[in-house]
Amino acid sequence: MKAPLHSIRWRVQVWHGLILLAVVVAFCLTAYQLAWNNQLRRIDQELFSAEHLFAESVMHAAHPPGERPAAHDDASRPPPGPPEAIVEQIRTGRIALPRAVVTRFEGTSPGFAYFLMAATDGRVLLRSDNVPLEVARSNPAGFDTGGNEAQTFSHYRQIVRTPGRGFHSVIGRDITPDLDEMRLFAWSLAGCGAAVWVLGLVGGWWLAGRAIQPIARISRTASRIAAGDLDERIGTAGTDSELDQLGRVLDDTFDRLQSLLKLQRQFTADASHELRTPVTVILSESRRILKRERTVAEYQEAIRTCEAAGARMKRLIESLLLLEHQENAGLPAARRDEPCDLVAVIRSAFDQLQPLAVERGIALHPPTGLVTAHGDASALLILVTNLVANAIQHHRGGGHVWVELGLDRNRPFVEVCDDGPGIAAEDLPHLFERFYRADKARSDTGRSGLGLAIAKTIADNHRASLTVKSEPGHGATFRLLLPR
Amino acid sequence: MRLLVIEDDAALRQSLARTFREEDFAVDTAEDGVEGLEKARLGPYDCIVLDVMLPRLDGWQLLARLRPACRTPVLMLTARDAVPDRIRGLDQGADDYLTKPFDPDELVARIRALVRRAAGQVRAVLEFGPVVLDTAARRVTVAGAEAALTAREYSLLEYLALHRGEVVTRTDLYDHLFGEDENSLSNLLDVHVSNLRRKLGHDLIVTRRGHGYSIP
Repeated sequence: MKAPLHSIRWRVQVWHGLILLAVVVAFCLTAYQLAWNNQLRRIDQELFSAEHLFAESVMHAAHPPGERPAAHDDASRPPPGPPEAIVEQIRTGRIALPRAVVTRFEGTSPGFAYFLMAATDGRVLLRSDNVPLEVARSNPAGFDTGGNEAQTFSHYRQIVRTPGRGFHSVIGRDITPDLDEMRLFAWSLAGCGAAVWVLGLVGGWWLAGRAIQPIARISRTASRIAAGDLDERIGTAGTDSELDQLGRVLDDTFDRLQSLLKLQRQFTADASHELRTPVTVILSESRRILKRERTVAEYQEAIRTCEAAGARMKRLIESLLLLEHQENAGLPAARRDEPCDLVAVIRSAFDQLQPLAVERGIALHPPTGLVTAHGDASALLILVTNLVANAIQHHRGGGHVWVELGLDRNRPFVEVCDDGPGIAAEDLPHLFERFYRADKARSDTGRSGLGLAIAKTIADNHRASLTVKSEPGHGATFRLLLPR
Repeated sequence: MRLLVIEDDAALRQSLARTFREEDFAVDTAEDGVEGLEKARLGPYDCIVLDVMLPRLDGWQLLARLRPACRTPVLMLTARDAVPDRIRGLDQGADDYLTKPFDPDELVARIRALVRRAAGQVRAVLEFGPVVLDTAARRVTVAGAEAALTAREYSLLEYLALHRGEVVTRTDLYDHLFGEDENSLSNLLDVHVSNLRRKLGHDLIVTRRGHGYSIP
């Protein structure tokens, strides 16, 4: 965890923490809100019943039981309405509230209830002794709660009404215990939330760790491979998880890279091996000749030897480049589909090789058939030239090389046959390998050891097959079978 | 000293042979494994220079068939420089190993060392009273003054000096000092021996009549 913010585990953890925090906070707030609303509803019900009791007792006090009919009268002749009458009565004379009511609205112990009736001019008409100062001082008119709603003022909950002109009534109660209770509830809620959050974080950390554990393993393996241990593989747990798939893809990639690298190394080793002999000739010959004064003839001979070695290196390098080009550049489909006159290709291959054939006493026989095919004429010329040159060079001399054209189930083919010594069975599978030589040794004839490898690569580029058949003592037949 | 060079590459074979001849070795050559093995078994060589990659019979096989009957030192030349290749060569009985491309002077020095060790000598400088033979510089001094020896005289003296105390037969000398294709008229041993005596002192080389020569 060198750079926490760059680590996936940390980033997952941070996001996970933030989201979880938001969820927990939202949940706690909602729970708190619901609980508080519940509490308020309960308080309000209490208040309403207190108000009811209060109003009833005031009415009773204002109209003692005997005057009931008068109260009844009030209903029949509205002005002045009963509230005004009651107010008037309250204003003019003392109203004695029942003992039960008085005890309900007294004391200042937490949760006490109070009442207050005041005229619009602020004059107090009727009040319990325990009305809190801030309630008494406030102008209740501003708080009129109208219908069935109570409201919270400071740490009091009260119902404020203006039942008629001229006065307000305030019924309230101290809600400190409820607030305390809610505060306690809030704290326990916060505590629970925090615990859930921490638990979530720990679980998330563990989960994220588990999830990225394979990544860590993959990265360790990859570093070992990068450090040079090319045989190392990630390996999979056998499940089909995304990381297993990634591991498989990486392993496949490593396999391919390793085989390519192996091929490349082999090639480099082979190439340097092939170059060593001519370099040795040049160095040893030039050092020898420079040791003392020589005759012109000796100098000339040494220089000729060096030149021949240089020419051999040049041929080898050209062959290497040709092979590299054929392997890496491949062949575009358009070139592969070009019509190609195979007879002309074979004729120019013969033109090139005629001097070599004459030197070795070998007769070249052109094809009798006539076939057109599709392919890159210049690449196919290299292929045919290499096959024919191979046949000439492996011949003991004084024989024949035939090239034949034909169709095999509509596929054009080119065959190069010779009546040379043939190829041993154990050499056949390796014949197209680079630098493979059936006679296990270098040679001075100008062969690079790459001719057949180049031919094979060109055939592959044409999606053609290049095969060889041979019986020792009875010559060899190379067959190029082109696609239709 | 007579060497056998077994190398299939004509240019390199020729260049090696010339290099050795100019260092006054008698040189025979072989161009494939079978011919090389034949010559190595029959010839009286002081050292064999063997290429690993040979047609018909490669260097490993040749070495395997040559040992243990033939005790001639073998120096292997190869284009492969991997350590396992070198170990394999030495384990199979090669005495030394050089990777192409090599320095011709180093090759010659290694061959001299091999020949010297095979003859039981440990130092490159051999002393016989006033005569000092420096095999590395191929120089002979008598009481500090350099003696002018021909190549043939030097080779003869060197061979006798390396086999000091032994009686070296005339046949041995012919075998080891002259290559297979050398003109026998130039091989007049007695003339060379008397020249050496004249230049280095009469007591240096003793004639064992009927047996050969010896440096006591």
